[in-house]
Amino acid sequence: MTTARRADPARAGNPALLGVAGLAGLLLVIELAPRLGLVDERHLPPASRIAAALAREAVSSAFWVALSDTLIAWALGLAIAVGAGVLAGLVIGSVPVLRALTASTVEFLRPIPSVALIPLAVLLYGSSIGSTLLLVCYAAFWQVLVQVLYGVADVDPVAFETARSFRFSVWARIRHVLWPTALPYVFTGVRLAASVALILAITAELVIGSPGLGNQIAVAQASAAVPTMYALVVVTGLLGVLINLLARTGERRLLAWHQSVRGEVAL
Amino acid sequence: MRRLLAGLTAAVLAGSLAACGSSADSGGESADGGVDKVKVGVIPIVDVAPIYLGQQKGFFSRRNIELTLEAGQGGAAIVPGVVQNQTQFGFSNVTSLMIAQTKNVPIKVVAAGVASTGEAGKDFGAVVVKADSPVKTAKDLVGKKVSVNTLKNIGDTVTRESVRKDGGDPAALNFVEMPFPNMPAALADGQVDAAWVVEPQLSTIKAAGGREVASTYVDAAPNLTVAAYFTSQKLIADDPGLVKRFTEAVNESLAYADSHPDEVRAILSSYTKIDEKLRASLVLPKWPTQINETSVRTLAELGAKDGIFTGTPDLEKLLP
Repeated sequence: MTTARRADPARAGNPALLGVAGLAGLLLVIELAPRLGLVDERHLPPASRIAAALAREAVSSAFWVALSDTLIAWALGLAIAVGAGVLAGLVIGSVPVLRALTASTVEFLRPIPSVALIPLAVLLYGSSIGSTLLLVCYAAFWQVLVQVLYGVADVDPVAFETARSFRFSVWARIRHVLWPTALPYVFTGVRLAASVALILAITAELVIGSPGLGNQIAVAQASAAVPTMYALVVVTGLLGVLINLLARTGERRLLAWHQSVRGEVAL
Repeated sequence: MRRLLAGLTAAVLAGSLAACGSSADSGGESADGGVDKVKVGVIPIVDVAPIYLGQQKGFFSRRNIELTLEAGQGGAAIVPGVVQNQTQFGFSNVTSLMIAQTKNVPIKVVAAGVASTGEAGKDFGAVVVKADSPVKTAKDLVGKKVSVNTLKNIGDTVTRESVRKDGGDPAALNFVEMPFPNMPAALADGQVDAAWVVEPQLSTIKAAGGREVASTYVDAAPNLTVAAYFTSQKLIADDPGLVKRFTEAVNESLAYADSHPDEVRAILSSYTKIDEKLRASLVLPKWPTQINETSVRTLAELGAKDGIFTGTPDLEKLLP
């Protein structure tokens, strides 16, 4: 590892700079491929036209309404899923009988792709935000639940028994032993759930037509407005990057005290 | 302590699962101050421009209707939405409504929706092929792959009728299902030999050199009623006054749209993303307030011939 780094200092370069260069390269390919006739520009317009369509979208109120609809559905769905997942995880995880009782059910329900619930969502909520929430909650809930279950299982039995022999109350045991141990797992769950929630929010809007960016993509597609469609796709991508960045920063800040973030200190 | 936790668990689990997706409103026609809140399930296409225009012009608010247009994707969700009162009215093509009727879905048409222009070559729906296609007229479609947006629906019925009238064997067509927006690319790439499309894809394909081989709606029946606004029989029984006001408002909207094409082209920018050039050039349909019953009867017969119904549609029950 160290020898490799020493042997080739030039190629490593500045990672941020390389990242920008990679992105510029991709844009260049998307700009040139249609212009050179490698792909039909009616179906994949050059990057500059997508950018122009993005600029036009950015000044329309419909775009901002759709963006906020998507963000609200995402945040609300994620909040419900995290709240429910953490609560259920802590309770199921701390009662062995419950854990055994629910294990098979969880393993059965968890792999059901959320999109398979689209017909159910349409029947229950039509093309309202409820449909989006159902899919988002379902997908995000399992991500959190499973992580919390792992977290609770990771509690040091000696610490837990010590707390018990010191006659810690139930609440104090959860607060001072269970929660700090489970917290890094909770954050992993939240980070995974945040990305999954965005995917499902866009999917629901695109397929069901509930309000949001996904629906705008579908409308652009139905209107034969191809550059606008790609512009909106780019926005969803940027949203994904932003959410991931936010989740990682939040995790580092809030878990600064934890060794998984702090780095191992030799004892 | 364990008992306490176990007791809590049941409540938490039940609560947390129920919390997922419980925040949707059921929608409805709560009348406060005499204003009825009405949701209408529509598809964001050119056909429904009159209702958007009517909303803007105040034709609905004048009749104490607070209109919300739910432009969900695809028509499939609209009928169940109306039956379950998530939306109080819906817009759907006539064949879909007849299919629902043969399955005893309790719906009834309350107003005309959209109609063919009745002019061959100048209608808002047609079968198109690539410029260099060997297909010259409808009968050449025999044995070819033709894309329609929904199988066993209005698209294949009217396309078959065009072939039948041109002297071809209507049973010998290979229909492929795909969404309208995919058709221009599918036709250009040769995935299909012909595409049954409506505006704005029709203009897009023609602008790219595509050639129209059949004005299917014109071939099916003179001045064909293509789609209609409908509601549930429950709403008709519960609130006939609201249904009546809605029908009047839709009729006023249809008449206004039919005589103000420039305003129609302008309103398209509010709910679609069709670009300005295309908005100015696309072929607008006709919006008569009368449902052409003869044409609906013809559609029913054609559909029966093609075997898309499980029974015989009862038009007395379906039409107003």
